[in-house]
Amino acid sequence: MTTALTPGQATPTARERAIGGLEVGGELPDFELLDHAGNRRRLSALVGGDPTVVQFFRGWWCPKEQAFFRRLLVLQDDAEVAYSRIVSISVDPSEVNAALRAGLGARWTFLSDPDRDVLSQLGLRETTDTLHHPYVPAVFVTDPELRIHSAYNGYWYWGRPTHGELVHDLRELTRTLRPDWDAPTP
Amino acid sequence: MSRCWLALIEEPARAADAAAPAFTLDGRPAGTLAAWRQRAKPVRYALRVDERMIDPAGSPALISLVLPPPGVRLPFDDLTVQQARRRVLTGPFPDAVSTLLRDDSHFEGAITIARSPADKRWLTDDPFGRIFPARILAVDGGILGSTAAPTGPTIERYGSGNPWPWDLFS
Repeated sequence: MTTALTPGQATPTARERAIGGLEVGGELPDFELLDHAGNRRRLSALVGGDPTVVQFFRGWWCPKEQAFFRRLLVLQDDAEVAYSRIVSISVDPSEVNAALRAGLGARWTFLSDPDRDVLSQLGLRETTDTLHHPYVPAVFVTDPELRIHSAYNGYWYWGRPTHGELVHDLRELTRTLRPDWDAPTP
Repeated sequence: MSRCWLALIEEPARAADAAAPAFTLDGRPAGTLAAWRQRAKPVRYALRVDERMIDPAGSPALISLVLPPPGVRLPFDDLTVQQARRRVLTGPFPDAVSTLLRDDSHFEGAITIARSPADKRWLTDDPFGRIFPARILAVDGGILGSTAAPTGPTIERYGSGNPWPWDLFS
């Protein structure tokens, strides 16, 4: 069954209002996890003062994640000069994430939640995978206060953000964060 | 703009906020590594550095100190400097890294700090050492600390007067 749009109603996008225990306008908890090098890292320190794409992914073995990472690698080439950050999080151990990161050529931080503590806290367990018990794929774009600007539920692949949607979100956030967005002119 | 300066000096480190003797790997004296937190340049050849890596309580370390030959400098946006920053983000991050600079637009060297055996190996393949000559030195305790790895993938400076990977506009 489909729902017809009424006049004036916004065209639906892949964005969601809520995924698990997280919703647009709310905040990501400031959790701590080990990074791909085994260092304990706090999310707020990783986000710093920049708009950030926070990606929860199933694991290296998932073909959908492999495809989506190629999209993030394209974003990486923009983000490296655009004062925007990327953080990827899975239940895989640090060593596995380090190998995945190196194989991809990713230059952002991967976090590991092998005990699934943060997964439980966020309500992001993918209940249909009883083998890996992974994160349900989800992407959040946050501001430096960890406020969720947009959310994408990637359980079905087409729910994931396109490159264009991420660029749009990062542009909107950057516009609000940078007081000199309107370029100074004579 | 960073107000922390670093220099490897032969003379006594007057008024430095932190300083420690440096040695070549075969034990010969190589001067004193000194840091100053102040607005004015303390000695003629001092360069601005990421102040987070300066720690008067820091333990001994090995460093890769990359400096250009006299009279040579590169634009900070030179492709070789961009690629070196990418390689730093790609590989295992050592105890700390900072580019060195005097003005807003030129790359004038880098310092990489290592303490673990794995990081020490990294010094011999310092990405910035592919741009200008690198000297590997042992530095006593009293000047060099550690910093967290950058989140990535940003390779830009946060303000042209700041070294990379300082990662805040404030």
